[in-house]
Amino acid sequence: MQEFVITILDASNYTLILVLVALGLAIIFGLMNVINMAHGELLMLGAYVLLTVQQLGGSFWLGLIAAPIVVGLVGLVIEELVIRWVYRRFLDTILATWGLSLVIKQAITLYFGPASHSVDVPLAGTVEVLGAQYPAYRLFIMAVSIVAVAVTLRLFFGTRFGLAARGVIANRDMAACLGINTRRLDRYTFAYGAAFAGLAGAAMSPLISLDPQMGLGFLVPAFLAVLIGGLGSLMGPVVGSLAVGATDNLTATLYSPVWAQLVVFVMAIVVIRLFPRGLIARRGRET
Amino acid sequence: MSRGRAITTEDALTALALIVFLALPLGADDYALGEYAKFFAYGLLAASLAFVWGHCGLLCLGQAVFFGIGGYAMSIVTLGKIPGAPSLLSSWLGLVLAVAIPALFANLLGRFLFYGQGLRGAFFGIVTLAVAVIAERLAINWPYLGGLNGLMNVPPPNLGLNAGGHEVFEPLELYFTMLGIAALGMLLLGALVRSRFGVALQAIRDNEIRAQYLGFDTAAYKTTAFSIGGGIAGLAGALFVTQFGFASPNLIGFGLSAEVLIWVAVGGRALLIAAFLGAFAVRSVEGFLSEALGVYWLLALGVLFILTVLAFPRGLIGEIVHQIDRRRGLDTG
Repeated sequence: MQEFVITILDASNYTLILVLVALGLAIIFGLMNVINMAHGELLMLGAYVLLTVQQLGGSFWLGLIAAPIVVGLVGLVIEELVIRWVYRRFLDTILATWGLSLVIKQAITLYFGPASHSVDVPLAGTVEVLGAQYPAYRLFIMAVSIVAVAVTLRLFFGTRFGLAARGVIANRDMAACLGINTRRLDRYTFAYGAAFAGLAGAAMSPLISLDPQMGLGFLVPAFLAVLIGGLGSLMGPVVGSLAVGATDNLTATLYSPVWAQLVVFVMAIVVIRLFPRGLIARRGRET
Repeated sequence: MSRGRAITTEDALTALALIVFLALPLGADDYALGEYAKFFAYGLLAASLAFVWGHCGLLCLGQAVFFGIGGYAMSIVTLGKIPGAPSLLSSWLGLVLAVAIPALFANLLGRFLFYGQGLRGAFFGIVTLAVAVIAERLAINWPYLGGLNGLMNVPPPNLGLNAGGHEVFEPLELYFTMLGIAALGMLLLGALVRSRFGVALQAIRDNEIRAQYLGFDTAAYKTTAFSIGGGIAGLAGALFVTQFGFASPNLIGFGLSAEVLIWVAVGGRALLIAAFLGAFAVRSVEGFLSEALGVYWLLALGVLFILTVLAFPRGLIGEIVHQIDRRRGLDTG
């Protein structure tokens, strides 16, 4: 029973982290039609912001708040310098953001060195969940993720900004005709997605070792999660992350962690092939 | 184009490049020759990506997978590691398998991905990226392939039917052998691009749905093009390991796939020779700039890559060729 609870908690933990990454990707992808290959590096940037804050003597919590703000601002700059020049060239967004990921990775390597760093776990100790001992910090991350997702859903379904954003997702030209400033919306969307990545990176930094190459390990599963879930709705990435997270943890527990990623990727490719519009497809939208 | 036999700027550039490469040994020491010979393998890899991406619109983010499979195939044969036939050591057999296995793999992948409600554009790109990560993982975790260390002491090309013959090892000889094979590969790709098949690929690249309505089985065309690109990339991989002497998971994964994408984008995705020269140029420049700039080199390369994508989608060499073509009144689109 205890092992079962821990497996479920681990799976939820991974899934919720993935949701955080995938949702940022999906918002940028769905709204702006931009494939952000630098998303993993934005996540890494969030973790390094937290590291810097700690090195300067700030607390973990200060870093956790600073990370999304700093990375969001970086997102604004990136949008202004790079992304807006390739809006009409869909596949070129992949190349431009891929180049960005290289540059960010290299800049971090120059500044912090190629070696890995670690961040202290702020909430030591465990909490008893259904008879099993579980690290408190992991529960905290899960809470952060749930809150962030809830805030995003509220933003998109409960505000005028969200209404405009969903209008742009459904039909960009029509939305522009109706007087929505799509240019400004794009800018904020990219910054919001970037801030999400920054938050994800900072939140999970105590659980992993920080090195300049860490982005890719999150980027690919998150992309697969987005594609599995489908781009039609904001629930898509959530469902996709669940599929990826559950498969990953089940394989790791039942078989071996080495092969977990392989199984997940192969499963994802098959699902994407069989359901190119995602498991949660919305009719009438061609991308 | 009605003036089909006019010499295009691309043809002229290809001829010029060939002359320069033939003359290069006059002014280069053995070490440089060895490096250039390896760059030919990279150039061929870049051309294979330009073929599938620039000419058929398949943005493959894992082209190194085929390069790596080719490299491993060649190493397995020449190291006598074929299960059940350890006495087979022929470089020729290695060459054949290094083309056939990646081509077959690309074919199966193409069949799986392109038919029915096929994957397009970015989805295809992300799936190929995932394939690259899977391939690298497999290579690292498979003891038969030497794991993280890879397969070491791969012998140089041997002209004997089953090894034992003349070893192509001396730098000048190796240089011309590699140049010859790379030129043959380029010739084949060039002929394909100019054929009716190549024109159909361009139609699919420009508008797949229209090509479908014109009666082209686009999935079949894309699968064939992808297989050819895979085979050529595998050939390049085989050329590389026989010189480098070493097949490692680095050859098959994400890193090299990203690099080749940069070479092709910077050189020019729509022209085979531009992609080839892009790889050659970036690698050569890297040779001395990485000493001068040190760690800043990769940063500079990344910035150059972004600027090229933003300002010159045709690539730096591709843009120059395009401008000359325009001056000459040859409309190359």
